[in-house]
Amino acid sequence: MPKHDTPMLDELENGPWPSFVTDLKRQAETHDECWDILGQMELSYKDKITHWKHGGIVGVFGYGGGIVGRYSDVPEQFPGVEHFHTVRINQPSGLYYSTKNLRDLMDLWDKYGSGMTNMHGSTGDMILLGTRTENLEPLFWDLTHDLKQDLGGSGSNLRTPSCCLGESRCEWSCYDTQDICYHLTMHYQDEIHRPAFPYKFKFKFSGCANDCVAAIARSDFAVIGTWKDDIQIDQAAVKEYVAGNYPANGGAHSGRDWGPFSIQKEVIALCPTRCMWMEGDELKIDDSECTRCMHCINVMPRALRPGKQKGATICMGAKAPILDGAQFATMVIPFIEVSKENEYENIIDVIEQIWDWWMEVGKNRERVGETMQRIGLPTFLSVMEVEPLPQHIKEPRSNPYVFWKEEEVEGGWERDVVEFRKRHAA
Amino acid sequence: MAMSIEEVEAAIIEKATKSPKPQLYIKDFYKCDSDRKPREIKKIANKLVTKGELMFWSSGSTTMYARPDRIKNEEGAEGIN
Repeated sequence: MPKHDTPMLDELENGPWPSFVTDLKRQAETHDECWDILGQMELSYKDKITHWKHGGIVGVFGYGGGIVGRYSDVPEQFPGVEHFHTVRINQPSGLYYSTKNLRDLMDLWDKYGSGMTNMHGSTGDMILLGTRTENLEPLFWDLTHDLKQDLGGSGSNLRTPSCCLGESRCEWSCYDTQDICYHLTMHYQDEIHRPAFPYKFKFKFSGCANDCVAAIARSDFAVIGTWKDDIQIDQAAVKEYVAGNYPANGGAHSGRDWGPFSIQKEVIALCPTRCMWMEGDELKIDDSECTRCMHCINVMPRALRPGKQKGATICMGAKAPILDGAQFATMVIPFIEVSKENEYENIIDVIEQIWDWWMEVGKNRERVGETMQRIGLPTFLSVMEVEPLPQHIKEPRSNPYVFWKEEEVEGGWERDVVEFRKRHAA
Repeated sequence: MAMSIEEVEAAIIEKATKSPKPQLYIKDFYKCDSDRKPREIKKIANKLVTKGELMFWSSGSTTMYARPDRIKNEEGAEGIN
């Protein structure tokens, strides 16, 4: 039986799509506080202002992250949401849950919280919405002791690292994304659970440029799989695609008739660097011009594969719009080896180099991408001890940000102005 | 001469006690010992939280530090009132 009238919210149940209002009403049958969420939201729609207060001192002992305080500013009207804290759970790498684990997590959340979840937040972790302060420690005890899982990051912490499913299922993955994600999660436990930085910092690991975890758009430190040598071509399979014997895109678009496959139209003409062409019935690629975008491989997976010399590109500084506009990550290191053998030492070196600099130079509440923008890419590259490369430039004469330094120019900047003016009158 | 950890702890506590605002960013503590790297200051500040001398205050996206008596007076014993 509804506790509050919600005529405006009820409108959101009328469309053809699944409705969160319907979900909340169903959940309210067992969790009374969900009626108060609906009531408070209806009031917000009426008042055109949020009635949530966020932030506070709530957390579990020893941790400085993983719990986000949420309170209602109208608790007398909606007592069920007087406290409505968010709990972030570190997700398994590649989001591999067993059904038992999911049931256990839901039972846990039914016991201590509202039962409402957000699967998953844009950082990648599982978000449990709505519990009271006194439930936090018992929830944390059960989570860590019975389910053997841990909280994720929040606040100015290293956020929960996330990765695509990588080599566990994907033949295109250029490194073991799950292994590095797990390794760095364990290596940086202190940074995940306690604040360390001027603002949030996110790692994401994608096995190839298809970037299934959107590392380039969402993470401060994106490790995206790539290769150094040439794309592997099976010319016999190319012929089969051209003849229409193999379905393009692994049959992904087979639900309707798109006409016969055209390698010219669907592969060669869509190559962003125009580095492919046909010579007779052979496909040719100028790999020195290829940006490893994965498009041709996606279309003809049986004919083309990533090269054999695999590693990753490191891009830095992506963010969603909070203080400044949204931005994609900037490519900083075109190729780096990603090796379990050295326990990812070279990646860790890069991470700590950027941290040491950002912790000193970054302003409060400034993402690393904003700091990079503020100080400029030439300075950032010199901080990272990376030589400027043509690949750092979007296109010639568009962003010519790399300038000569005085010590690199014969004779330096010093000149005799009097002598100069004899030849060039002011 | 470099400050000892105890001296840095005392300087951080003094800063958190006397600053006009009860909540401080980690960067606000860097000057407590400018010879130490920010990561060292962060570790000392986080240790002070486990000792109960400081407390975390988090908005969800940013985390700040405060003296427990100052923050609880402002927020109430359980959080924001």
